[in-house]
Amino acid sequence: MPNASSATPAVRPTTARVTRIAALLALVAVVLLFPSLAPDPFILSVGVVILSYAVLATSWNLVGGFTGYISLGHAAYSGLGGYATALLILRTGLDPWLALVAGGLIVALIAIPVGIASLRVRGASFVIVSIALVLILQLSFQSWATFTGGSGGLRVPRPFGPEVLRPEQHERFFYLHAALLALALLTWWAIERSRLGAGLKAIREDEDKAQALGVPTFAYKLTALVVSAFFTALGGGLYALWFGYLDPIFQFSILVGTYMVLMSLLGGVRSLFGPLLGAVVVGYAVEVFKSQYGDTQFHLVATGILLGLVVLFMPDGVIPALTSLVNRRRHAASIREVSAEDLAKQREEATP
Amino acid sequence: MTGDLFAQSLVLGILLGGLYALLAAGLTLYFGVMRVVMIAHSAFLILAAYLAWYFHETSGLDPLLSLVITVPLFFVVGYGMQRFLVSRLRPISLTTMSVLLTFAVALTIEGLLGFVWSGTQRRVQLDYSSASIELGGVSIAVVKLIAFALAAISLGALYLILRKTSFGRALRATTQHPEAARLVGIDTDRVAGLGFGLGLATAAIGGTALALDYTIYPSLHWHWIGPLMAIIVVGGLGSIPGAAIAALLLGVAASLLQVPLGTTWAQTVFYLALFVTLMIRPQGFFGGRLAQRF
Repeated sequence: MPNASSATPAVRPTTARVTRIAALLALVAVVLLFPSLAPDPFILSVGVVILSYAVLATSWNLVGGFTGYISLGHAAYSGLGGYATALLILRTGLDPWLALVAGGLIVALIAIPVGIASLRVRGASFVIVSIALVLILQLSFQSWATFTGGSGGLRVPRPFGPEVLRPEQHERFFYLHAALLALALLTWWAIERSRLGAGLKAIREDEDKAQALGVPTFAYKLTALVVSAFFTALGGGLYALWFGYLDPIFQFSILVGTYMVLMSLLGGVRSLFGPLLGAVVVGYAVEVFKSQYGDTQFHLVATGILLGLVVLFMPDGVIPALTSLVNRRRHAASIREVSAEDLAKQREEATP
Repeated sequence: MTGDLFAQSLVLGILLGGLYALLAAGLTLYFGVMRVVMIAHSAFLILAAYLAWYFHETSGLDPLLSLVITVPLFFVVGYGMQRFLVSRLRPISLTTMSVLLTFAVALTIEGLLGFVWSGTQRRVQLDYSSASIELGGVSIAVVKLIAFALAAISLGALYLILRKTSFGRALRATTQHPEAARLVGIDTDRVAGLGFGLGLATAAIGGTALALDYTIYPSLHWHWIGPLMAIIVVGGLGSIPGAAIAALLLGVAASLLQVPLGTTWAQTVFYLALFVTLMIRPQGFFGGRLAQRF
């Protein structure tokens, strides 16, 4: 809401920009310094896991955040990425890093027919298809044991030689994950500023109107899904190289897809760093729950309750909630993104 | 495949299809009345199965008697879930957010089941557990017949409620046009709550039927949710007859394919049908004019 009593418009954007750049630099510094600050290899490995979650959540947000199409089955792409990378190394003797990229490209190709089928429907049907995709992959990878190793799992060869010790390996993978995360964030940032991004956001707010205005909705949605699948697959592949072991039950798990949604929603799907923030919170919580109550099913209850609370009370995420709080305090006159939802609410409030 | 084996698979397919039809009808009910996709339906199904098993373990009575408790209980829980959780969601994002919300409920139920009764596989042992009836070379397990009978009776009752009672008329009116229903004086919020309760009551019946015939464990609901979701999409979201037809057809198809392909690959028929439906007729094959928009 415009407010005349705010500070002069020339000053505030610059201070905001300076704060933003400072925050970004601080974030980069924390990530770069983390391996040398981590007291032991276990903490470092938790750091790798959280960065891996952050990659997946940011990749998920490339389609979920922009288009509003909620996919609960993105584990399909991360799992396929892991298996593609491992199988390429094992069956063709490809260099691990080439296998990783090739795996990502293969998964992006697979995402095209999947997208053509599933993006024809909206909302609920799309979510159902995404769930079905994970379930069908889990079934196939369990059954097709001669190719995938089946329920027995698949050992992924280590990309580094035996001279690289465990802590050092964690450290290398930490930076590799950080680099991939930076790439995914950069892609999100670039799309947000592009025509594609504007079109995708129009789809999120009102797909019919976007179509009527000439946005090639289907092509845009498909592009977003394929790019998202590509990054998700890279995330899954990199994780597989680090972890060294794949199992269909854990790779093609709805729970992994849920974590991606939960992280993105919690942090905020409309902001660049939302999924990253969500990954730090949820990823840390998940690791703690697993190490504390590993044998019980308590982590499921915790995830379930957290997801329920976020959906009910914070569907826009923490960042927008905090930003609006700060803005209200400052009486700021910033141009914020107004969604169709907000407008509808305003209209509702305006009419008695 | 020999004739006998074919007949056997066909009969088993129809019996299983009946159970699928009952559960899919519940799912369709939520969607029709409130545009809610209830992922937790199959989790409640497993919960009901556990309650039937626990009831049998502690009292020694027939697990079917637990229906006296679970049906009203689930009805109340469903009503409460609609009024206190689902109705809080914003209307504009209701459909997608309802998936996430009910998914959260499903995870919580699965976790609590594992927490209370552990992940151990459970099975109800009854005098008639292994009894079967021979009928023209086809042998049918009594428990499967009971499950089918329960499903048939419940579906019949559901049909009568929807067609013959004033509540049913109000429910159908709310499904077709909520605003118009409100204009003629229907309390749509209350109707939606009751509809949700009715849907969850079908999960109580289905779960008890399931407990008679299957080994149960907390994560079993994942095996059910996929086929059930496929059925309601193939049948056309929101259409109860569509769901019933799709359930029977796919149940029979899965059962027939099980002989040459094995159980796991036969399951994929549901997902295959789902993808084919989306490619050819995204609004579903039977009825279901609502589906594409949601």
